[in-house]
Amino acid sequence: MSGQSAEVYRIDWVPGSDLLHGVCHCGAEHLASDPIAMWEWMLAHPLGHEGSQGIQGSSQQSSTEISPQITAGESSSDGRHA
Amino acid sequence: MAAFAKNQWYVAAYSDEIGRELLGRTILGEPIVFYRAEGDGAVVALADRCVHRRFPLSESRLDGDTIVCGYHGFTYDTTGACVYVPGQKRIPRTARVGAYPVVEQDTLVWVWIGDAEPADAKTIPRAPHLGDPAWTTVRGMEPIDADYGLLVDNLLDLSHETYLHGGYIGTPEVAETPISTEVDEGAAIVRVSRHMDDAACPPFYAKSTGIEGRISRWQDIEYFAPCLYLLHSRIVPVGAPPPGPDGEDSHAFHTEITYAITPSAEGKVYDFWAVSRDFAVDDEEVTEFLHAFNHKVVMQDVDALNLLQKVLADEPEGYQELSINIDTGGLAARRILARLAG
Repeated sequence: MSGQSAEVYRIDWVPGSDLLHGVCHCGAEHLASDPIAMWEWMLAHPLGHEGSQGIQGSSQQSSTEISPQITAGESSSDGRHA
Repeated sequence: MAAFAKNQWYVAAYSDEIGRELLGRTILGEPIVFYRAEGDGAVVALADRCVHRRFPLSESRLDGDTIVCGYHGFTYDTTGACVYVPGQKRIPRTARVGAYPVVEQDTLVWVWIGDAEPADAKTIPRAPHLGDPAWTTVRGMEPIDADYGLLVDNLLDLSHETYLHGGYIGTPEVAETPISTEVDEGAAIVRVSRHMDDAACPPFYAKSTGIEGRISRWQDIEYFAPCLYLLHSRIVPVGAPPPGPDGEDSHAFHTEITYAITPSAEGKVYDFWAVSRDFAVDDEEVTEFLHAFNHKVVMQDVDALNLLQKVLADEPEGYQELSINIDTGGLAARRILARLAG
């Protein structure tokens, strides 16, 4: 039961910021400003993931260290949901 | 309302709750009666309604390993087969109540709710500290009049400790410290970690560990959807080294906080809670303190969730919520539960 499957998603709240940094099981990375938008991107795999593979930045980086290019995917959602 | 996930194992009771007295529990809307067989001591779980006039078998009596219905005497064996009906020799072929697969593991009684065929005991998540003599455990169970999804939300986002449990287990650092969330989709596990390097020591840990200054406090949640929740807690004085590369960590205070989240009926959930520690294991004073103190904490949650359920019931359909970073793990849990409920 506790063995790890192949489909693992990781989302780190970037220390010192309000941003979330997500890593899909395929290795694609993404920044978003709220968890709804992050999960929408994550679960859309592989849609929208091709261009973000191999981007610099790891889940341990601070916000100032993360490459500006991956902020392009940042969501404009305000987290509201029914 | 969070839909029920069938074809899953759920905690029905602690092992020592089940003996020769009949115990009735409703799980995912199914009334079930539990007892322990005389011969092999195995736990028996049968549908808690007599086939005759639906009288609750849990309000009946045992005769050896059979249950005699307290209304008209229909009698059932451990498989649920009716072995006696009053006044006649012929027992109708349909005279049978359902029997549930049961597994006792880690001092918990797990019952399979769903089709009997796929029940596989190997898929039950483990909580070995509950039965390990190297740990001392205090525990309890509180029924809550709330959707089980509200309890899952509560436990996946521990930032509420700062506000709901301030002065007990919450300190400002809990809500202020960023979390990491990992979701293992295939295994239906959500992990949420919050590592506080320099935090105030709440009374829960100050009084149980004797630490007087500030602490490094790690909270690592593992939620094995839908039922088992483990919070691995590690406490050391600030500046103490992290665990060694081989995992050696004997200088730290470890607490395993276990919850079993078992939906009872719509808008009702059983909140099984346990606090296990690997320090001061023989200290009765610490045991009594942790039991009383954690019970207070649990009741703070119970009161809050009872209230939340009431106000949500009056909300119009499709009410809006607002999620922020602290909800990342809770949202994942909701999605996994919805998938399991399929």
